[in-house]
Amino acid sequence: MSEKNQLVNDMQALLGPEKVISSKLERYTYTYDSSFLSQLNEFYPDVVVCPMNTEEVQSIMRYAYQHNIPVTPRGAGSGQTGGSVPVKGGIVLDLSGWTDIVEIDESNMQVVVRPGIVHADLNVALSPYGLFFPPDPGSSKMATIGGMVGNNASGLRAVKFGNTGQYVLGLEVVLPDGEVMKTGGLHSRALKSVSGINLTSLYVGSEGTLGVITQVRLKVLPKPPVRGILLTLFSSLDDAAATVLEVFKNGIIPSGIEILDDSGIKAANKFQPDLKLPEAEAALFFEINGSKAAVDFEGQQVKEIAEKRASSVEWATDAQRMAKLWQGRAVIGAASARVKEGATRIFCGEDVCFPMAKVPEALRRIKEIGAKHNTLVVIYGHIGDGNMHTAPIIDPLKPEEVQAAHRVADDIHQLALELEGSTTGEHGVGFTRSQFMVAEHGKALEIMRIIKDAIDPKGIMNPGKIWAER
Amino acid sequence: MKTTYRIDFAEELKKCVRCGECRANCPIFSESKREPDSPRGRLALVKLLQEGKIPASVELSEKLYGCLLCKTCAVNCPSGVITDEIMVGVRDYLDDVLDRNIIKKLVLRGFLTRPALLQASFSLVKLYQKTGLNDVLTRSKLIEHLPEQMSVGAKILPDVSKQPARGRIPEVVKPYGEKRFRVAYFLGCATNLIYPDVAVSGVDVLARHGCEVVTPAVKCCGMPHLAYGDTDTAVQLAKNNIKILLSAQVDAVVTDCSSCSATLAESYLKLFEPGTDDYNQAKELSNKVYDLSKFLVEKTGVQPGPNPVNVTVTYHDPCHLKRGQNVFKQPRELLKAIPGVEFKEMKEADRCCGSAGSFSIMHHDLSMKVLERKISNIATAKATVVATSCPTCTMQLSYGLKKHGMAGQVVHPVQLLAKTYQKNS
Repeated sequence: MSEKNQLVNDMQALLGPEKVISSKLERYTYTYDSSFLSQLNEFYPDVVVCPMNTEEVQSIMRYAYQHNIPVTPRGAGSGQTGGSVPVKGGIVLDLSGWTDIVEIDESNMQVVVRPGIVHADLNVALSPYGLFFPPDPGSSKMATIGGMVGNNASGLRAVKFGNTGQYVLGLEVVLPDGEVMKTGGLHSRALKSVSGINLTSLYVGSEGTLGVITQVRLKVLPKPPVRGILLTLFSSLDDAAATVLEVFKNGIIPSGIEILDDSGIKAANKFQPDLKLPEAEAALFFEINGSKAAVDFEGQQVKEIAEKRASSVEWATDAQRMAKLWQGRAVIGAASARVKEGATRIFCGEDVCFPMAKVPEALRRIKEIGAKHNTLVVIYGHIGDGNMHTAPIIDPLKPEEVQAAHRVADDIHQLALELEGSTTGEHGVGFTRSQFMVAEHGKALEIMRIIKDAIDPKGIMNPGKIWAER
Repeated sequence: MKTTYRIDFAEELKKCVRCGECRANCPIFSESKREPDSPRGRLALVKLLQEGKIPASVELSEKLYGCLLCKTCAVNCPSGVITDEIMVGVRDYLDDVLDRNIIKKLVLRGFLTRPALLQASFSLVKLYQKTGLNDVLTRSKLIEHLPEQMSVGAKILPDVSKQPARGRIPEVVKPYGEKRFRVAYFLGCATNLIYPDVAVSGVDVLARHGCEVVTPAVKCCGMPHLAYGDTDTAVQLAKNNIKILLSAQVDAVVTDCSSCSATLAESYLKLFEPGTDDYNQAKELSNKVYDLSKFLVEKTGVQPGPNPVNVTVTYHDPCHLKRGQNVFKQPRELLKAIPGVEFKEMKEADRCCGSAGSFSIMHHDLSMKVLERKISNIATAKATVVATSCPTCTMQLSYGLKKHGMAGQVVHPVQLLAKTYQKNS
């Protein structure tokens, strides 16, 4: 019997056949996430398993450790950097079916969940308690909490509420050898702890390279009772960026400040015609939430600031209109291709983060990079924290356009480093950014590697990610 | 991949950026939680096939037939991927290159193209039910020993003892009062044989709204053929029906079945090359096709009778009506216009019930899981009547209510409207 068949048989013996996916056809559907690079390659796993409890994950890891088999944890596969793609084959752990909410601890403002719970579903479950988990990825409807922790995701509300890591109080992790560890205290329900080296923080954003996260204890917050969205249109990107800075200077921290460039506005209108965004160089969406008095007051203040430069201002408090505006912005990632007939948006070099003061320059230079490579780049994203999304719009069936898009992505990553930013603000490194890690981190990358080798000496956890091949 | 069903696979498939948004709204994925059962997974496999990287196979075919064709992924796709149409197209291709199941072939080409034969076969079903054989087999559990799809079909199929609609509706029904429209009533197979009262009510209601109603001798609309990849037969049916309906010289073609209206108005256009006579005729027909509720609300205005119908009603949106034709306000308006009706919106009213033609028979366990959620939403709405505009949805929902021991009736909106003209309703 071949080694691969043996692996499949052994997994079936460990978990039962219903939790094992072995046919080549079905395994193909685990070769990709939404990164363009994963679609240009075929990184087949040898087997896919769908564990539903910690003991099952332990048994898989013990086996993998013993037999030196790579293991790649996977949530919804909605990532954009190939983080959940098994570039070295082996076992894919599909954790997206393990969706249990173990406990909602209302009085202690925390929730304990399994890794497969989807972000939006968690917030639906928290809503009756008047609570919510604030980070808001555009992929809320499909992103799993496990994936969000693994990538330290953030999204549209990071300006006020920060990223996932700020809410992770503790983790249950199955280590590469199958042992289980709890971070953040064995029995703790505390909202703060500085007891010992912060291993929780080490695992947040480690992209499955240090073990398998099987349980997450998250801090949650009271759901703000009122929100409003100020939609503002500008005839120049500089005016939009200047408005954001002036809002901050006035001591206002909106929950989100989002931008769409001219192409993004067109794409949003094509996806949702009833949005009816006026044509402009840039649209800003300010979301303000909190008590009614605070929202009314801050909304008015932001409106007055915006009116100094904006060509059009709309203050929306109607639930349907707000949902449409926010959704219109949230799905622009995939909808941006609508701006050009016959074209597709590809995910590469898509979440660079710039220092706030350099955002206007960055926006201008991204446009120049697109023009230089004759590639339309739609710009949108979280201007409130400098985290910009850049979407090359190409025909993927034309090799010359694909090559140009790769050059665009390289230049945009280099620009982020040149302007003292980061190559990734929220999507992670995966295998699509690893070539920039030395330039971004220098000696720190070596220390990361030492930590990785200490925890995963056999290098079986999600190999080929974060660190470029040695 | 060459197919009769007109779709450019390469152009459509390249739109999928694999963002995974479809995982959030696919009724099948939400039950299985496995990527191969997601629209994104299926599209990835079709792309492999289209690029020649994998051969057509039974395993592939089974995966692609796991889609309900409910269009939920398509209407919510930010990239505009028409997954359901891609599935119809690829089934057409697979049908050409793989041997089709002989029973399927017999049903699609034998019975569903011959209305008289189909009706005769239903007489046998009627006999099976009337003799009590069904009850005997069910009570003795012998039914479990029948081939799975037969035993499932026997469980789901309601009492078909009523006379088919075609024999009960005159060829031409004169309008009450002044003639406002001449209308062709497209009598679908399921309505005719399983729910004939819907058509009888539909024709009567149209006549009461000033319509002269003709019921041409059409054949099956072709939806089952499209769903099972037999597009060549669908083309023959389309040509036949287009010819008959256009020659009827009517202002509108109206049907109570959302699958029939979707096929006549939308799918036929995918069967012919634009610019050809066939296409132009399909387009001419498409412009005349109306769902029954839409016609009554938009063209005639709903004029209920004087007798109240004192029931609490909720409405289930058939996939092919809401997402296929953007018709969802009109049935609700019609229901709300009926005196006595208290309308209660159910949660996820437009979520697929899992019926999808014969999906409930071919993929029974999965279909029942999808149905569970719908039944739970119906229960929460606390309505005594569920209205819907599709005979297979009616069949599925009725089965679901019965299975869960829930009282309640499933009807077409027009059946409630028809009661307002009857005393003692």
